[in-house]
Amino acid sequence: MATIELSWNPSDPLDPGPCIDVTVMNSADVIEAGQAIGLEYPKPVRMKALLDTGASVTVISKTFANHCKLFQTSQSFEISAIGATHTCGEHAGAISFPGTPLRPLNAIRIVSAVFAKERHYACLIGRDILRNWTITFDGPSKKVTITE
Amino acid sequence: MAPAELFSKEIMVFEKHRKEWSRSHPGEYVVIQDEIIADGFFRTYAEALKAGLRRFGVQRSFLIKQVWKTEPVYFVS
Repeated sequence: MATIELSWNPSDPLDPGPCIDVTVMNSADVIEAGQAIGLEYPKPVRMKALLDTGASVTVISKTFANHCKLFQTSQSFEISAIGATHTCGEHAGAISFPGTPLRPLNAIRIVSAVFAKERHYACLIGRDILRNWTITFDGPSKKVTITE
Repeated sequence: MAPAELFSKEIMVFEKHRKEWSRSHPGEYVVIQDEIIADGFFRTYAEALKAGLRRFGVQRSFLIKQVWKTEPVYFVS
């Protein structure tokens, strides 16, 4: 069983919530198929990701999706955020959690969206990933524990 | 190609079959490139991706679409 601990101070207005380091890249199948015909892919990009129980899907900043050249599989994915609906790109990607024993996820759907003025994180870990884990929050000690 | 035009052919093909597929394969995934539909329906996105890569390769994008009667809106808050 893998367990990790994250800090989160909900009393601090500048603390965005529990964040974890992730690396994002194309799925192994896409890279293998691409390299077989001479395509090149950027190295995995490490970024901060917010554990977001309010997000039904995992979302990455469009800037990073473009930088990672994530393989696009749709352009009509609709998300609703704070009352407004946005049409977003959908990509096949892989996410891993460097420095932790959490299992990497290969070939998952990742939605790309513009993260306006967001400086704390470039990815939202949605319920499609969170559902694999047991997550507890201990308020007094300001600790979030993820168990897989 | 402008972003709005991406997958426009594939979406047209999907819409042509949506009613029928939403009855026979609700919640499953289908893979389309131009007007070509990859054989079969897939239970997961990962299976659909593998099938798309086998059928179409990686040189051009292909559409992976989950089959629903109406298009869902996913909430992010």
